[in-house]
Amino acid sequence: MNSIAIFAEIVRVTLRQLLGRRRTLLLVLLSALPVVLALAFRLGGETEIERFTRRIFDTITMTILLPLVAILFGSGAFGAEIDDGTVVYLLAKPIPRWLVIAAKASGAIAMSIVLTGTSTVLAGLIDLAPAGADGIHAVLAQFLAVVVGSACYVTLFLALSLFTRRALVIGIGYMLVWEGALSFILTGIANLSIRQYSLGASKAIYTLPLQEARLTAETAFVLSGVLVVASLAIATWKLMRFELPGGSD
Amino acid sequence: MTDPITTQSAAPVTATTPVTATTPVTATTPAPNGEVVPAIELRRVARWYGNVVAVNDVSFALGAGVTGLLGPNGAGKTTLLHMLAGFLAPSAGEVLILGRGPHRDPSVYRQIGLVPEREAVYPFLTGLDYVKFNARLQGLRNPEAAARAAIARVGLDDAMDRAIGTYSKGMRQRVKVAGSLVHDPQVLLLDEPFNGMDPRQRIAMMDLLVELASAGRTILFSSHILEEVEQVGTEILVLVAGRLAASGDFRAIRALMTDRPHNITIHSSDDRRLATTLMADPAIFAVELTATGLSVQTAHLTAFRRLIAGASRTAGVRLFEVVPADESLESVFDYLVRR
Repeated sequence: MNSIAIFAEIVRVTLRQLLGRRRTLLLVLLSALPVVLALAFRLGGETEIERFTRRIFDTITMTILLPLVAILFGSGAFGAEIDDGTVVYLLAKPIPRWLVIAAKASGAIAMSIVLTGTSTVLAGLIDLAPAGADGIHAVLAQFLAVVVGSACYVTLFLALSLFTRRALVIGIGYMLVWEGALSFILTGIANLSIRQYSLGASKAIYTLPLQEARLTAETAFVLSGVLVVASLAIATWKLMRFELPGGSD
Repeated sequence: MTDPITTQSAAPVTATTPVTATTPVTATTPAPNGEVVPAIELRRVARWYGNVVAVNDVSFALGAGVTGLLGPNGAGKTTLLHMLAGFLAPSAGEVLILGRGPHRDPSVYRQIGLVPEREAVYPFLTGLDYVKFNARLQGLRNPEAAARAAIARVGLDDAMDRAIGTYSKGMRQRVKVAGSLVHDPQVLLLDEPFNGMDPRQRIAMMDLLVELASAGRTILFSSHILEEVEQVGTEILVLVAGRLAASGDFRAIRALMTDRPHNITIHSSDDRRLATTLMADPAIFAVELTATGLSVQTAHLTAFRRLIAGASRTAGVRLFEVVPADESLESVFDYLVRR
């Protein structure tokens, strides 16, 4: 039995944990929203890249769907197990903690990408396929933004969930206040915004018509890479020091 | 708190002088590297949370066999087990499993099986999947076979394909035990393992623990039900308010309690005449004729055993039964907790 097999086993159980929840069904319905709106746009004859990007990709996918899904999966990858004590069955094993973190993060990132990425690609193809090569590139750029965003949100809030039980609440607060409000007012916080990293990264494929995408692709990749690596490292450090409460007896 | 009372397989190392039985410490187990060390060893271990002391200056060593960890609620049993399992760092002292500190060393879990008190087990997995999950994470070569064997040991074959979420509390306990012993660990730590089990399941689980112990495994289980401990073995650790009040064979512990008279019930051919003879001896504190026989209190059990033979001959009385009335684990525990 090697590390890959152990990694795969932890990912498998993590996926079942995340999929088994009722909220996943709600998230699937939410992720269908961009597709439904894209269909409506298409039937209405609107297939412009700019309009689609602004109205559906930016307003719904990047502002609501992606952060909500990724924060839920990131904070839930460990959160439930710590709350109900089942994390002991995972940690009382002779496996390095970095492997546990990597597997948990991978499972949650994969789930986030499957939900939000599928939604993004389907909605994009419905509306932007008629726009030719530019339309396809725009869809790929949006998918890349979702991938980068998923990795950043999941790892950050997975790490946070090892420090506090309120990781989900903090995440939603971050989504609404920091990225939803402050980042539009204070341009300087682009370097501290996962949304900006995601939009910036998309420029590596295609420059989406969004004025608020302030970072270059290079800067976005570096900052998102630093965030992911730092989050994984901090999560591993914390998991190595994980302690159970003493109990009442 | 008074000094720990120690017998046989436990070796308290405290600043004060423990009361020790004559049997030497034999708590040794071969470690994976071949070195002979105690399977479980605590050296002056303490754990506190802020100003609250959960475990205080506890030392003992355990080898192969079953040991019951007893104590009233809040005594520190779970804290102690979590420290042994590597999920809590001691605030002071040293915790060793097969000679190694378990805290922040995941490799030690190849030798440890842990059954936590909390009931939750992945409800979406079947019993078989859960035990296979444990086997795979332990790196076993044939997880399927190991999982099926472990499930058979706890008697869950019929339910192994059902989701754990549909299990009764007793079944969840058993699947937890199966998961903990799938890799055949040298040390098994169980926190209230019999919780939720029906009498038949309890007996089967007790038999399993005894079988594992006789195969050389070291098993430490906590319980607040004395009958459970009494039925599995005689070795106990008693925690009271975070301190080790006693360790070893509970009958030997009782014999060491010289500050508390032993109660003995006697049935003979003439209880009244025997009572008259016994009352003359200074080793006898009290004699009482009851409806069920003769009740005698003495400070020294060994001396009494010699005395009663001579006294019955002197009185010309035939002895039918001489039974210590307070050597049960319950009476020992009651005394340790109350003193």
